[in-house]
Amino acid sequence: MTMRIDPADPAPPGLFKRLDPAVLTAFGCIVALLLVGSLYSTSFLSPGYLLQQLQVGAFLAMAATGMMIVILLGQIDLSVPWLVTVGGMMSTAAAGYGPWGAAFAIPAGVLCGVVFGLVNGVGVAYLRIPSMIFTLGINAVAQGLMILRTGGSAPQDMATPAMHGLATGHALAGIPNAVWIWIVVGAVTVFVLRRTTFGRSVYGIGNREAAAYLSGINTRRIVLLAFALSGGLSAFAGVLLAGYSDKAYQGMGDPYLLPAIAAVVLGGTSILGGRGSYLGTTAGVILITLLQSILSVMQIAEAGRQIIYGVVIVAMLLLYGRGPRVGS
Amino acid sequence: MEPIKAGLAASTEPLLRLRGITKRYGGVRALEEVDLAVRAGRIHAILGENGAGKSSLIKCIAGVVQPDAGTMSLDGAAVRFPSPAAANAAGVVCIFQELSLIPDLSVADNIMISNPPRRFGMIDGRAQRRMAEAALARAGAGNIHPLELVKNLPLSRRQLVEIAKALARNPRLLILDEATSALTAADVETVFRVLKALRAQGLALLYISHRMDEIAELADDCSVFRNGRHVATFPAGTKSDGEVIAMMIGREYSHVFPPKPAPVPTGPTPTLAVRDLSWGETLAGISFEVRAGEIVGLGGLDGQGQRELLLALFGVLRGVTGQVVIEGRPVSIGGPGDAKAPANGMALIPEDRKTEGLMLPMSVGENLCFASLERLSRGGVLDKAAERRAVGEMVKLLAVKTASPDTPVGALSGGNQQKVVVAKWLMNSPRIILLNDPTRGIDVGTKQEMYRLLRKLADEGAAILLYSTDYAELIGCCDRVLVLYGGAVRRELAGEALTESALVASALNVEAVAGEAGLTSAATP
Repeated sequence: MTMRIDPADPAPPGLFKRLDPAVLTAFGCIVALLLVGSLYSTSFLSPGYLLQQLQVGAFLAMAATGMMIVILLGQIDLSVPWLVTVGGMMSTAAAGYGPWGAAFAIPAGVLCGVVFGLVNGVGVAYLRIPSMIFTLGINAVAQGLMILRTGGSAPQDMATPAMHGLATGHALAGIPNAVWIWIVVGAVTVFVLRRTTFGRSVYGIGNREAAAYLSGINTRRIVLLAFALSGGLSAFAGVLLAGYSDKAYQGMGDPYLLPAIAAVVLGGTSILGGRGSYLGTTAGVILITLLQSILSVMQIAEAGRQIIYGVVIVAMLLLYGRGPRVGS
Repeated sequence: MEPIKAGLAASTEPLLRLRGITKRYGGVRALEEVDLAVRAGRIHAILGENGAGKSSLIKCIAGVVQPDAGTMSLDGAAVRFPSPAAANAAGVVCIFQELSLIPDLSVADNIMISNPPRRFGMIDGRAQRRMAEAALARAGAGNIHPLELVKNLPLSRRQLVEIAKALARNPRLLILDEATSALTAADVETVFRVLKALRAQGLALLYISHRMDEIAELADDCSVFRNGRHVATFPAGTKSDGEVIAMMIGREYSHVFPPKPAPVPTGPTPTLAVRDLSWGETLAGISFEVRAGEIVGLGGLDGQGQRELLLALFGVLRGVTGQVVIEGRPVSIGGPGDAKAPANGMALIPEDRKTEGLMLPMSVGENLCFASLERLSRGGVLDKAAERRAVGEMVKLLAVKTASPDTPVGALSGGNQQKVVVAKWLMNSPRIILLNDPTRGIDVGTKQEMYRLLRKLADEGAAILLYSTDYAELIGCCDRVLVLYGGAVRRELAGEALTESALVASALNVEAVAGEAGLTSAATP
């Protein structure tokens, strides 16, 4: 029986012993990537470049946070791409309804994502449809609804100044607002996962749903909530993204599905559920963001980038994702 | 009884001979120095109560598990089966209790699944159908169409397909483990005719069944097992039911049980009252009461509805009819969350701690708190100090041996894991405690601690319903025992009447034996 590192461990025996090897590997890869990048250009190590990467990474971090909670349950949320787009389009659409609409643009976008997330949750928790197929279906429904609304072209509505400010501003200490948002969302997530009954139940269900159910935990409500959170966070990523580029557009969420799953898995969260830490997901997001940046600096075409992503994820899964040995 | 039984010479070398077969699971001895001989052309029945070692025996013979010591010979030549496939190749085929058919494949596909006839590397459908038809005919099921999907067949027909599947492997020794438990009376007759025909063809059959009447009709030889040991082998019909039951029990009492208090007086409101509880065909109108301070046992053979009864009470099963009354209030329990709510105060120690009781990779502390998260939190936020305190109390109360509360519970020994499961529920201060075979696979020391704990909880006012497959435990621990058979309470035993022979007799649904004293004289069945 091998010892496993427990993310909610209240008394750490020491930082290095406590860290999952996957998290350490992810941070090691980040350092390696920065070193490789600095061979191309010394600006890779400049604070300006790093902060810019973190700012871009914050959008991915929102989607990955929701994805992580769902993966911890042993489920998956494949509706991320179009829930990101829903967030972007619905918030900019709200902005088109005068000053009141503009004031509620951000909550409106997030709320639409939550609604779609609730539908996901009902399908998975109450109708017992496998999340892999149900969320994929909801993704298609969301896509259809958005195309129906916009007629298939980019909507004319612009992002509100608040959205723009959140995504691109530097209100405090020269650090991008998006990074502050990431820090706040991250801190809340760590608190929720470690210190609340919801978080404890998420880990319990991911480990052994039957045992959690027989312990009297309302497993269906927890699953419903997790998908609602994931939907809301995906939509929030869309809100920030729309603020960043000043408008929403078709397929704006498409590049977020694979990186969101990859960030969670690269960060050491078991794809089978029940094990993983938010620190790991953070490392995974930074790793993916840097990988993307460096691949584009090295002028590798989009096709090459996709191939390298895929290979990196499969390689990491081989190392960490296969669950415990049979019979251990 | 029947002429054919004496027909084949009994003096020939046995087909299968076991010498000194021993099997241990962890610290638990499943088989101890077992010697057994099975002859060709005979039906050999294996008898024994729950946990006597019957299943381990056939698993060893069929290559499912490897014995730790001892030798096995087939036709005088020493053999060793590393896998069921190797056993099949040598002509040893087993039909297990659980059906092994794949519902969405055809009967022919299922019968030939391990070795379909091939042509040019592909399955030869026509040859397969022919071979399946032959096997079905041999199994007395020629009227089953080989291309029918298994899922369209009723359960009893599937059992015949299962037998045909075994026959298609050309066995010399056929092992049947409770093969008739799912059959209707008419199908049982068919199966018996088939088995007798196979015997006439010179096959050896090992037949495991709990139905004494079946054994009387079918068997040539009987072997009785007890506590993993082979007690005796004798020709069928030479011993009475009473004598056989006496052989099946007569164990050494290795457990020490706490003394039982005087019977709890019949108060006006029992803690738990169940009236006419039914669920599908598994539970058929069960009624009983458990009062505060009482430990009531559920006995009987495995699979007579005991587990389902506990799950039904805990709100896990859907479609349960009947009435449950807790402390005088009729209740409707929709799920484990309802059952554990303070108003109902129930706890269920589930059957399999590894899949139903614990999250093995998570820490002892986290596991202990899972059933009482509501008590240990405010507004959904866990109170870490209260959690640490409660965990510390429970670890101390049950003397859980763990390096720290942060150790993964999977690293603990089986007995200590079981203590964590129990402690997790005690943290919730339950008033009704349902236990599903809580001492299975744990060491004797922990068992005794568990018995003392149960008695202490009862003395403190809990109402306890204990299902156990260990008869000694039921007798030693319980104030009363309800014996279930076919989903109904067949008998209630208490006080002087609560003896092992009475338990075994009612579990087998045999009326003959009244008590320990009657054993020697009760020769006529």
